[in-house]
Amino acid sequence: MDIILGYVTTILVFFFTYNIFTLGLNIQFGYTGILNFTVITFMAIGGYVAGVLAMPKAAAGSGIYYILGLNLPWPIAALGGVLAAGLLGYLIGQIALKRLRSDYLAIVTLATGTLLYGLIGNGTSIFDGWQGLFNVPQPFAGFRTWTPLGYSIFFTIMTGVLFVLLWLFANRIYKSPLGRVMRAVRDDQDVVEAFGKNTFKVRMTAMVIGSMYVGVGGVLTIAYITALSPAGWTTGETFVVWAALLVGGRGNNFGAIVGSFLVAVVFNEATRYLPQIPAHPNLIPDIRYVLIGLAVILSVYFRPQGMFPEKKNTFLEVPLGDSSKAIEEHLAGGLSKVGEQ
Amino acid sequence: MTMISKDPSAVAKVALEVDSLKKSFGGVAAVDGASFSVEKGTITGLIGPNGAGKSTMVNLISGALSPDSGHIRLDGQEIGGLEPHEIGARGLIRTFQISREYPDMTVMENLIVSASNQGEKLFNVCFRPSVGKKRDRELVERALHTLITFGLYPLRNEYARNLSGGQKRLLELSRAVMADPKVLLLDEPMAGVNPALIEKLGEHIVELNKDLGTTFVLVEHNLEIVEKICSKVIVVALGTTLAVGTMAELRKNKAVVEAYLGGDVRERVGS
Repeated sequence: MDIILGYVTTILVFFFTYNIFTLGLNIQFGYTGILNFTVITFMAIGGYVAGVLAMPKAAAGSGIYYILGLNLPWPIAALGGVLAAGLLGYLIGQIALKRLRSDYLAIVTLATGTLLYGLIGNGTSIFDGWQGLFNVPQPFAGFRTWTPLGYSIFFTIMTGVLFVLLWLFANRIYKSPLGRVMRAVRDDQDVVEAFGKNTFKVRMTAMVIGSMYVGVGGVLTIAYITALSPAGWTTGETFVVWAALLVGGRGNNFGAIVGSFLVAVVFNEATRYLPQIPAHPNLIPDIRYVLIGLAVILSVYFRPQGMFPEKKNTFLEVPLGDSSKAIEEHLAGGLSKVGEQ
Repeated sequence: MTMISKDPSAVAKVALEVDSLKKSFGGVAAVDGASFSVEKGTITGLIGPNGAGKSTMVNLISGALSPDSGHIRLDGQEIGGLEPHEIGARGLIRTFQISREYPDMTVMENLIVSASNQGEKLFNVCFRPSVGKKRDRELVERALHTLITFGLYPLRNEYARNLSGGQKRLLELSRAVMADPKVLLLDEPMAGVNPALIEKLGEHIVELNKDLGTTFVLVEHNLEIVEKICSKVIVVALGTTLAVGTMAELRKNKAVVEAYLGGDVRERVGS
């Protein structure tokens, strides 16, 4: 029983975290049309910064190097990680959002991500290079004595609560006037600009919020696994998040959840039970990528809007004061003439 | 060439003023010293043969391009070289040659998102969602009125991408109205539109001009509708202002006729 519970909690943490990544990407791409091809870098920065803020100073002579090591309590370290991801989003936005859009923007984000990957991997003194951080303190671990399972359940609930809060906030943005302007920017940036709205600012807002979302996911990842190395955030991981969003339905947060469940949980867990072939240890992960790629191709071909397409937004039209009278008068004049050209 | 009047009372009546505007692409001078002014509350036509520099002028005035030299003034204030959104926020709204609706938003959303001051701030999303909701109510009401005026009411909950070419033209104009423009710069609003709808769009423009006092600048190839609704017409050729007057006057102007029918315009532009 304990084993099953442990397994379920692990999957749930994984599922919630992926959801948070996908929500972040949805705000950037689904709402605003920003092609962020380096989603996973924000996860890494969020995780690393939260890690080094929570960890004690790197011991001299241990052969392990990392910056900071401030030994801060977890909530503050977590906040630091999220803000770091947001700051990185802001910096990349300053370079990429000012003049670039669509595919050019995508290239810049991809290139920036690759640069950071190389920098962090090779620059051993930042986050201990390819080896990465480990023994990262667990949040609230000293708060009371936990059994390992009890802690897992606690962590799952915490992640779940965070996910729900972030989901509600993402929906709130979508329905707000800001979300509406974001979607207009996605549809035609020049027109929004011509109507007197600073589209750079709107896109930057989406970029930073989305990056912070992904940062939250990163903070949770490192806190749960208590380790993070560049092997855990290769470029391919970015496209798993993309696959989740595209298959689920961009612009629709519910679609983002279904996509995360399918891509991150079902594919990941189902492939786990494939028989291992000792001569090919990488076969299973590779099959996983093949399946995800296949899901994207099939979804784009047969259902380009995703499984749950963006919903049509209607407005409450009553009570309308004098306009309802005007509508009635107009309709009395003959519906057939209206709107026909 | 037009003389820019320095009389202050005349300046107060000018909505848009273009003064010795220049813009080159490589060695090609697309706009080469154009000067004209548009009086407040008028419908002014801007015509000229293909390649005359009309589109470049529209892009310069709306901020999509910045001028090499010269001035553009909106209500007496310099707007040359500002960002498009800064110019839009000052009340000069442009439309595009090809209809550019927001395809994945409904007709209603297309209108509402075009209004100014929707409360589209992150602060409001976080702490004061009621601000946006209250403003939305006003905007919905206004949008409904506008849609009824333009005959788009039955299509209000349709995705804009599903509209016909003509309906998209109506949507563009109704959307522009939602922004409360001081000056509405229409870039070939009649392009690809059938004669009956051209007539109708013309009526809408005249009505808006009368009811709301909006100043219109109409860049158009359809001279018939220009003659019908514009009180003053500016002719441009080779990047500069060739003549200004009513359509009837311009028809008698030899330089204008030759610019349209061919012949060497160059000699006359210099003189």
